[in-house]
Amino acid sequence: MKRHIVFATAGLLLFSLSGGTPGEAPAEGTICPLPGTPAGFEARLLAIERENGCLDLDQGAEPASWPPGWDKATIAGGDVAPIRVVSDPYPTLHSVVVDSERNKVFMSDPNRHALWSYDRLAASKGREQVEPLTGIRGPSTGMMFVAAVTIDREAQEIYSVDNDIGDRLMVFPYDGSGNIKPKRVLEVPHQAWGISISDERNEFAVTVESSRQIVIYRKGAEGHEQPLRTIRGPKTGLGDPHGVFLDGKNNEIVVANHGNQGGREPAPGDAPPRQRGTRSAQPPPFVGGRFDEPSIATYNADAKGDVAALRRIQGARTGLNWPMSIDVDRNRNEIAVANNGDSSIRIFRRTDTGDVAPVRIIKGPRTGIVGPMGVAYDLKNEEIWVANYGDHTALVFPISASGNVAPKRILRNAPAGSPTVGFGNPGAVAYDSKRDEILVPN
Amino acid sequence: MHGIFYDHIHDEIVVPVALGGAILTLPGDAAGDAPPKRVLQGPKTGISQPDTVFVDLEHDELIVESGDDAVLVFPRTAQGDVAPSRRIGGPNSGVSNIYGLATDSKRDCIIVANRVDGPGRASDDAILVFNRLDNGDPKPRTKIAGPHTGIIKIRQVFVDEERGLIYATIKNNFENYNVADPRPSPWDPNKTGFIGVWSIDDNGDVPPRAVIKGPATGLVWPAGVAINPKHQEIYAIDSVSNALFMFKMPEFFVKPPASPAAGAR
Repeated sequence: MKRHIVFATAGLLLFSLSGGTPGEAPAEGTICPLPGTPAGFEARLLAIERENGCLDLDQGAEPASWPPGWDKATIAGGDVAPIRVVSDPYPTLHSVVVDSERNKVFMSDPNRHALWSYDRLAASKGREQVEPLTGIRGPSTGMMFVAAVTIDREAQEIYSVDNDIGDRLMVFPYDGSGNIKPKRVLEVPHQAWGISISDERNEFAVTVESSRQIVIYRKGAEGHEQPLRTIRGPKTGLGDPHGVFLDGKNNEIVVANHGNQGGREPAPGDAPPRQRGTRSAQPPPFVGGRFDEPSIATYNADAKGDVAALRRIQGARTGLNWPMSIDVDRNRNEIAVANNGDSSIRIFRRTDTGDVAPVRIIKGPRTGIVGPMGVAYDLKNEEIWVANYGDHTALVFPISASGNVAPKRILRNAPAGSPTVGFGNPGAVAYDSKRDEILVPN
Repeated sequence: MHGIFYDHIHDEIVVPVALGGAILTLPGDAAGDAPPKRVLQGPKTGISQPDTVFVDLEHDELIVESGDDAVLVFPRTAQGDVAPSRRIGGPNSGVSNIYGLATDSKRDCIIVANRVDGPGRASDDAILVFNRLDNGDPKPRTKIAGPHTGIIKIRQVFVDEERGLIYATIKNNFENYNVADPRPSPWDPNKTGFIGVWSIDDNGDVPPRAVIKGPATGLVWPAGVAINPKHQEIYAIDSVSNALFMFKMPEFFVKPPASPAAGAR
């Protein structure tokens, strides 16, 4: 989860959904409607995300949800329409992954609960948005608050993982599109964020934020299958881990840590997994929360339990600030970091350790980088992709780009200038009476 | 973050940081990468993984969810690693996962939105009301819970002291998931959430006195609620729709609620 507060002035951002009629089911294999020109917003906004991003299918069944006894009670109010709605009808980009062999790029979208694919060379010539090749979206997908996306190039499968709602990893067919069921589903710990597949090891790794762990599964794992091993515990130094890269070539796991440490010490990695909804008989020791500096930590790929990192990039010179996704260029031995906190991409040497400056930084107004969440290398075409969470764009740079440089290509998923609301599983709201503003924490 | 409080007297924003076991207080005009004015964090605080927070401006106290099944009370300006002045928790209290907190100074009480995770739709979620100065493991003075309340997966609460009303966000759904289901969405679209309004004097298994619920509302999983008293508006944030819904406070919210036809209030 991002530590982020969205300030919304009432009535500032009003959008609409276009297409579709309330009550019409999104058929199997169709893409739920994407927004069009904002117009006639109020009535159609009522249909926003009735269920997982698609229009409501079951309005007729609504009375069944009213609790017992309510029909005989005197209850004021009821099914009243809002006077205004603040929402972003366009996808918000999270993670990105490139398949240079098939010339496709995949991105996850936590706003509309979707996975999108685009032609690798698709680009906006001007202010227009680019149409996706495929979109996996809808109630059958089971996707909730999606975080990372990656691909299994060998098996031609798409992996995505749920973050704060859902607690599962879903695998879809490579060319899947529309309101489709996943091929496989794997239950994963609560607050999973990053995924990385290693073909060399036939495994994949998943990072988990609050329990501060990396869980490694065999490729093909599904259902309630347990991980092969877990890296977790106070010696690991894992703190709110996000991006991950399972490097089978160098036999290492690289992880981006925000540095947040909750009040209870993380249980050792060899402790039995806690079932969701249950309490530990003996909770780990209470040590009090703390904020460690963000870091990029590297572990042995075979590590298990409460083990220390082999290397750690951490300190003021690194400039790390909310490091999100990472990717590793194993040809040049470099790590790319989507540094959300200062809207930059930071490149470190793969073997760096300690308080070191990045070898290159892509940052500045010409770059168009705004709150990046995703970063991915395309080694074949010597490019680096950036998925902006703070703008409706994905950007492509030369792999050696540095400084305040314009991207080679811009892929827009909304008309240029469309504001990004930034809501991501928002959990509370407050009214600032001094400024007449509404405060929403993510 | 699952909580936020705006302190209009001192112009401060107070937020819980669940993953860092901390409470941050920021200037009211904070923007961007602004540092907090105060950080409350450390082993003495008892704060583990806080999801929600409230400031009792009348008594200058900070009310914090510990993340460990307890309500913690600190001086409003507490910072660093300090112990709470009071704590409510334990089997008598029934305090479990807290997702909403508020106080009512007129009635001298603390209102707790209490979650008890269980299988399926079985729920003992409740609105618990404690005396403001309670400390230790007291029983709540009132408890609104049971199937007639519709309270399943309660989240943020807002208290209107003038009218003695509790506004509660109810998600009314679980994350059950079965891939073999025809539509394996992890929430049931037939059981959408709502805003429920109870009198602060209600007790037991009683329906709300007013609701905002149904297809026209747009609410799916409302997680937060706030009131704009100046413009008489209700704000509801929805964690599935990723949308902020604004409702005009209907007249029935302004007037004293009608007496119920049945049921103990």
